[in-house]
Amino acid sequence: MADTATTAGAGGSGTRSGSKQSTNPADNYHLARRRTLQVVVSSLLTEAGFESAEKASVETLTEMLQSCKYQETIGLLPVNQTSILILLICFNVDTLPAYAKRSQRMVITAPPVTNQPVTPKALTAGQNRPHPPHIPSHFPEFPDPHTYIKTPTYREPVSDYQVLREKAASQRRDVERALTRFMAKTGETQSLFKDDVSTFPLIAARPFTIPYLTALLPSELEMQQMEETDSSEQDEQTDTENLPLHISTDDSGAEKENTSVLQQNPSLSGSRNGEENVIDNPYLRPVKKPKIRRKK
Amino acid sequence: MIDTKVHNKNMAHGGVRNLNYFSNAYAAAVSAVDPDAGNGELCIKVPSELWKHVDELKVLKIHINFSLDQPKGGLHFVVPSVEGSMAERGAHVFSCGYQNSTRFWFPCVDSYSELCTWKLEFTVDAAMVAVSNGDLVETVYTHDMRKKTFHYMLTIPTAASNISLAIGPFEILVDPYMHEVTHFCLPQLLPLLKHTTSYLHEVFEFYEEILTCRYPYSCFKTVFIDEAYVEVAAYASMSIFSTNLLHSAMIIDETPLTRRCLAQSLAQQFFGCFISRMSWSDEWVLKGISGYIYGLWMKKTFGVNEYRHWIKEELDKIVAYELKTGGVLLHPIFGGGKEKDNPASHLHFSIKHPHTLSWEYYTMFQCKAHLVMRLIENRISMEFMLQVFNKLLSLASTASSQKFQSHMWSQMLVSTSGFLKSISNVSGKDIQPLIKQWVDQSGVVKFYGSFAFNRKRNVLELEIKQDYTSPGTQKYVGPLKVTVQELDGSFNHTLQIEENSLKHDIPCHSKSRRNKKKKIPLMNGEEVDMDLSAMDADSPLLWIRIDPDMSVLRKVEFEQADFMWQYQLRYERDVVAQQESILALEKFPTPASRLALTDILEQEQCFYRVRMSACFCLAKIANSMVSTWTGPPAMKSLFTRMFCCKTCPNIVKTNNFMSFQSYFLQKTMPVAMALLRDVHNLCPKEVLTFILDLIKYNDNRKNKFSDNYYRAEMIDALANSVTPAVSVNNEVRTLDNLNPDVRLILEEITRFLNMEKLLPSYRHTITVSCLRAIRVLQKNGHVPSDPALFKSYAEYGHFVDIRIAALEAVVDYTKVDRSYEELQWLLNMIQNDPVPYVRHKILNMLTKNPPFTKNMESPLCNEALVDQLWKLMNSGTSHDWRLRCGAVDLYFTLFGLSRPSCLPLPELGLVLNLKEKKAVLNPTIIPEAIAGNQEAAVNPSSHAQLVGFQNPEDDHLAKEASCNISAHQQGVKRKADTPLGSPLEPGQILEKNEDSSKVKLKIRFSNSQDEEEIDMDTVHDSQAFISHHLNMLERPSTPGLSKYRPASSRSALIPQHSSGCDGTPTTKPQWSMELARKGTGKEQSPLEMSMHPVATAPLSVFTKESTSSKHSDHHHHHHHEHKKKKKKHKHKHKHKHKHDSKDKDKEPFAFSSPASGSEISVNILILEMRKPLSSSFSHDQFPLIFISHSDLFLELL
Repeated sequence: MADTATTAGAGGSGTRSGSKQSTNPADNYHLARRRTLQVVVSSLLTEAGFESAEKASVETLTEMLQSCKYQETIGLLPVNQTSILILLICFNVDTLPAYAKRSQRMVITAPPVTNQPVTPKALTAGQNRPHPPHIPSHFPEFPDPHTYIKTPTYREPVSDYQVLREKAASQRRDVERALTRFMAKTGETQSLFKDDVSTFPLIAARPFTIPYLTALLPSELEMQQMEETDSSEQDEQTDTENLPLHISTDDSGAEKENTSVLQQNPSLSGSRNGEENVIDNPYLRPVKKPKIRRKK
Repeated sequence: MIDTKVHNKNMAHGGVRNLNYFSNAYAAAVSAVDPDAGNGELCIKVPSELWKHVDELKVLKIHINFSLDQPKGGLHFVVPSVEGSMAERGAHVFSCGYQNSTRFWFPCVDSYSELCTWKLEFTVDAAMVAVSNGDLVETVYTHDMRKKTFHYMLTIPTAASNISLAIGPFEILVDPYMHEVTHFCLPQLLPLLKHTTSYLHEVFEFYEEILTCRYPYSCFKTVFIDEAYVEVAAYASMSIFSTNLLHSAMIIDETPLTRRCLAQSLAQQFFGCFISRMSWSDEWVLKGISGYIYGLWMKKTFGVNEYRHWIKEELDKIVAYELKTGGVLLHPIFGGGKEKDNPASHLHFSIKHPHTLSWEYYTMFQCKAHLVMRLIENRISMEFMLQVFNKLLSLASTASSQKFQSHMWSQMLVSTSGFLKSISNVSGKDIQPLIKQWVDQSGVVKFYGSFAFNRKRNVLELEIKQDYTSPGTQKYVGPLKVTVQELDGSFNHTLQIEENSLKHDIPCHSKSRRNKKKKIPLMNGEEVDMDLSAMDADSPLLWIRIDPDMSVLRKVEFEQADFMWQYQLRYERDVVAQQESILALEKFPTPASRLALTDILEQEQCFYRVRMSACFCLAKIANSMVSTWTGPPAMKSLFTRMFCCKTCPNIVKTNNFMSFQSYFLQKTMPVAMALLRDVHNLCPKEVLTFILDLIKYNDNRKNKFSDNYYRAEMIDALANSVTPAVSVNNEVRTLDNLNPDVRLILEEITRFLNMEKLLPSYRHTITVSCLRAIRVLQKNGHVPSDPALFKSYAEYGHFVDIRIAALEAVVDYTKVDRSYEELQWLLNMIQNDPVPYVRHKILNMLTKNPPFTKNMESPLCNEALVDQLWKLMNSGTSHDWRLRCGAVDLYFTLFGLSRPSCLPLPELGLVLNLKEKKAVLNPTIIPEAIAGNQEAAVNPSSHAQLVGFQNPEDDHLAKEASCNISAHQQGVKRKADTPLGSPLEPGQILEKNEDSSKVKLKIRFSNSQDEEEIDMDTVHDSQAFISHHLNMLERPSTPGLSKYRPASSRSALIPQHSSGCDGTPTTKPQWSMELARKGTGKEQSPLEMSMHPVATAPLSVFTKESTSSKHSDHHHHHHHEHKKKKKKHKHKHKHKHKHDSKDKDKEPFAFSSPASGSEISVNILILEMRKPLSSSFSHDQFPLIFISHSDLFLELL
C-alpha cells in the first residue's frame, strides 16, 4: 500500500510501476479499465472504417483517451482548463447526443470483472464488544472478538538457572573483552611482554587532573544499578521462588532498609524545614558588605 | 667541631657520614630551637632604651611582617591543572605537619604549652571558604567585592601548634543533628559527605556521655581535603581529614575505617586540642587518654569482640616492635643530657624531641600509650578512670574561662605528674609501680609457659619463664592471672611472679574421672556438651590461658597439647583465646585440627575475624598435610555450601552482601584457598578453576552494595595462586612459553585493569590489586620483570592508592633487580613529588623492603648514594620532619649506625689544627663511639680544642680558620647544626648588621647553615661583636635558655635570609600577616606584638616597634591592665585601618602556590594572639622574643 501511495505521489510514473506489480486490487482495476479503453478505441476505429491498426497507434489513442478519463476520474477535469479547451475544440458538444444514439455504434461488453469483491458473510463468533462510552456510536464497531485472539509463537525460553547464569556471564565477559580490546586498539597501550603488544593489551595509564573524583564518586553504572536494585528488590519479593534462602535475607534487609529510611526521613525532612528558619550557622549567614571608610 | 665548609671541601671522600654523628647533631639542633625549652629561631632583641617602658608596664608592640612564597612545608597547596578559575578547579590549601609545625606558616611560639586566645582573619577569593579555629564571627567583602574576609575568634586559650587553616571552594554541610557542627568537602562530593558524616553525632553523644562533659568548643568543623598529610589531623575545634575517607552508602569496607577516623579525631579534640600538654614527655598522657576513650567508643560501636580483637592486635604490634627495635619509652626523663643517660641508646634517633622520632616509633608510641591507659583502668576501675578524665576536663574548662588570670591556664595543660596525682586523688590507689614499669621504662615482657599435671597431688604444675635479656624486654614482677578450664568449670588463679620462682602449683578442682553426661560449665556461665574423647584420660584440664585479660604488655608462648588448643578454639568464648589457638594450631597439622577449624568456619555465631583467620590457618594445615589430605581442597565444599547455588554448585550465587559477616568470609575464603599447594608445590588446578569461575559468574546487579573490594580480593586470590615458573636455562620470558594457567590469570587481570579505565571502582581497589598481581607474576618469572608499567602508574595524577601500590612494586623491583636506575628514580621522587604523603611513603617502603642492608654486598651501595641520602637528611627535608626522620630510618637500614662501609677511607688520617698547631685524628675515622661523644669533649670556653679540620693543601686556610673560630665562639651548640647544613653560595651571605644597639634578629635554622654564612672579617671583630652582645645579655633573659646554650650563642646574627624575615626587598610579597601579641598577665608587663601587613617595611621600622619588657617584679597590676588592654585594642584597630588604606593599591597580600605559580586568591592573614603571659613558664619573661621558625624563612627566596 505504501508503495502505491508513493508511486501515485510520484505522478506520471504511476502506471509504469503499476504494471510491473499487478498484484494488488487497485492495479487490477487500472488494468481492467485500460483494457476496456482499448476495446473502445478499437471499436471507434472500426466504426471509422479502419480495418487494422498498428499496435502503437492504438496504444497512443488509448493513452489520449485515458488521460481524459484519468483526469476525469481523479477529479482534475473541471479545474484543468486546457483539458476542457481540448475537449471543446475536438468536439461539437451539441452533436454529442446524436452521436451517442447513432445506429452503427458498437456495444461494448462490460469488462470481465476479475474478482468481484464478494464480501463473505462474516462468521460471527461471539459478541462484538460494545463501544465504551467515550467513543461515539457512529464510529465503526470493534472487530470480531476472534481477531483479538493471538497465538504466540516463540521458542521455549531457557529457564534453566545454570544456563542463564552461564549465558549472562559469558555475554558480559565477551562484551567487556571486546570493549576493552577495542579501547586498547584505538588508544595508547602498555604491554607486559616486550615482543608482543596485542595478546594482553593494557590501556595506557593516564593521570587525571582531579584523581579523587573518579576514585570516590560512584560511576554512572553503579548509580543506575542502585536504582534498579531498589525497584527490583520489591519485585523479587513477589516472584522469585527458586532462591528461598536469598529471599529471606533480602526480605529482612529490605525491611530494615525501609524502616531505616522511614526513620530517617521525617527527622531529615524535619530538620530541612528547620534549616530555613532555625539553623543559625555562621557559614550560612550572608556575607557582609564592607564598611565604607572614606573619612580618613 | 667541623665547619661545614671545611667539611665539604675536605670530606669530599666520604665525609663523616655516620648516623650516630648525625643523630646527635640533629637532636642538638632540634634542641637548640625547641620552643618548649624557650628556644627559638627568631630572636628579637629589645633595645635598652625601651627597657624603662617595660618597667612602667607599658605595652610594647612588635610587628612581624613576613610573606610566605611557595612554602614547601606547613601549608600544602593542591592546584589541579585544569581550565577555569581557582575555585572551579577545586584548588585548595591546608595547614599540615607533624607535631608542632605551625611555625612553618607563621611566626609563633610553636609550643603546645604556650596558650593564648586568637583572632584570625583570612581574606580569600569570594568563591573560597576559609575554615579555621574558633567561631566564625563574620564574613565581610573587601571593597572591590572580589574577596571576602573571614573573621575567626577563638576565646579558648590554645597553643599555636593547634592552629590550623583550610581554604578552598568547599561545599558546606551543616550537620542535620547538631547545627554547631559544619562539614566541608571539595566540590561534587557533597552526597558522599552527607553519608559519611551522618554518623558523627553519635560519636559526639558517646564522648559527652562517658566524659560527663560537653564538647569544649562552641563549634566543630570537619574538612575533607585532597593530598592529605595524614588521614586525620585534629586541631582546636576543627579536624582535617583526607578526602579519601568519604564514601557512599554502597561501600562496606571503608565505612568502619572512616568512622574510626572520625571518632579518633573527636577524642583528640578533648585530649590533645582542648587539653594540651606541658612538655613532650607528657605526650603519652594525651595520646593515651584519647586512644583509650576511642577504644571505649569502639567497644560500644563495634562490640566487645571487635574491641578485644583490636586490643590484641595493638598489643601484638607493640610487642613485635619493641622486640625488634629495643623498646618504646612513654615518659622519657632526661637528666643532665649526658650520653650515657640517654634512655634510648638502642635507637638510631633521639627520643628527646618529637621531631627526631622515626614515624614508626611515634605510631607505636601512641599504640603503647593507650594500652598503658587501659592497664591503669584495669588497676583503678573504669569508673575512677572516667572521673579522672572528667576532673581534668572540668578544671581545664574552668581555667579556660578565666580570661585575665593566665596562670590558671596551666590547668589546661596536662602533665604526667598532674595526671598521676589526679588518679591517686580520685581512686586513692597507688599506681606508681605500674607507671614505673610501663611508663618510665621501656620494654615488654616475654613469657614462656609450660605445664605438667601431677595426678597424685591433683595439682597443675605451671612453669613460667621470662626472657628479660633480649633487647626490648623487661623483667616482670607482680601478679599474673592464669585461667584454667577444667572439667568442672573455669577457674581463675592469680600467681605472683617473683624474682626466682618459676614453678607455680595450682590445685585442680575436678577429679579426673568424668561424668560423661555432665555438661561442662564455661567461664561465662554457659554449659556445653563436649566430646571429651580426645583428651588425656588422667587429666581434668581442658585448656590453660596465661594473662587472659591482657593486663600485662607481653608476649606469651605457651605450650599445651594440640587437643587443648582445639578445645580452646571450639569452646572458649573469648575471641582472643580463639585467635591464639588458631595461631597455635598451625603447628599441629592433624585431621583433628582440620576439623576444629572447619567447625569454626561453619559456625555462624563465631566472630567473623576469627573465622577469617581460621581460613588461613586451614590453608597452612592443608599444605602441611598435603600427602594425607583427602577430599576436595580445603574450604571448597564449605564455600560451595555457603555461597553457591543449590542447583548448580559451580556457580556462585548472585552477590548479596546484606550480611557483613558472610561478606567478609566470602571475600577471604578464596584468598586463603589460593594458598593451597599440591604435592608438586603448585596451586591445584581445581582451586584455580574455582577462583576463575567465581570471577566469571560474579554478578552484582541485584546487590545493594558495591563489589569492588570483593573483586579486588578475587584478583589477590589469583595472585596468591601463582607459583614460581619453572625456568629452563634462564630463558627470556616470552608469550610463547607462558604457562597456560598464567595465561588465564593474565587474561583476567588485563580485562579487569582495562575495565577500570572505563568503569573505575571505588578507590580503584581493583587497579591496586591488579598492579600487585602483575608484580607477583613478574617476581615469579612468568612475565618479564619490568618497572615501566608501575612507573607510569606511580606518576602524580593517579589516585594515591594506585600510586602507592605502583611504587611498592618499583621498590620491590629495585630490590630484586638491584636496579640503580630505579633507585635513583625513587630518590628523585622522594625529593620532588608534590604530595608529602607519597614522599613519606616511598621512604617508608624503601625502609621496609630495602634494596640492601648494612652487611650486604650490593652494587647499589656506593658513595654517591651515601652522599645523596646524607644530603637528603641534612638539607633536602628541612620542611618536613616526618620526611627527614624517614630518610634517617632508611639511612640506618642501609648503612647502620656507623660509617657506611662502601665509603673509602679518608685520605688523611691526621689533620692539622692550625690554631693549636697540632694534629688531630681525622674524625671521619674516629670509631663510632668516640665520634658520638666528641663534641662533648669540646670545651666551649677555650679555643684550645677548637678542631677545625683543615686540609693543609687548602688555599683558603687562614680564612677558614677564622671562620671556624667565629663559629665556635657562637656556641658549642652551634656546631651541632653544622653537619646538617649544606654549603651556601657565597652570594647569599648578607652583611652583618653592625648597629647593634638596634634590635637584633636571630634566626636559627634547624638545619641551619648559618655558620659559614656569617661574614666575619677577623676573629677580633667577631669577638668584639660577641662580647658586645654578651653585655646586652646581662639583662634578664629567658632562663630556660642559659642551660641549653652558652651565652655567646645569643649574639645577634643576621643570617642571609633576613630578607625573608623582615620582608624588605621583596617587591611583591606573597603573603603577609599581622600578628599581635598582648600581655595582660598578672605578673607580667604587657607585651604586645602585632605585625603590620606592610610587606615592604624595612628593618628599621620593625625595630622601632619592637621593644622588650623586663618584668620580674610587677605583681598586682592586672586591674590596671584591663583598661589598658581595651585601649590598646582600639588603638590597634586604628592601626590596622591605616595599613589597610596604605596597602590598598599595593596589593601586597597574595600567596602563591607552588603547584602552578599562579596565584590562588587566598590573601591576608591577620592574626592576633592575646596572651596573658603566665609566670609558670620561665621563658615568658622575655627580653627576647623567640619565634620558633625553623624553616619558614628558608623558603622565602
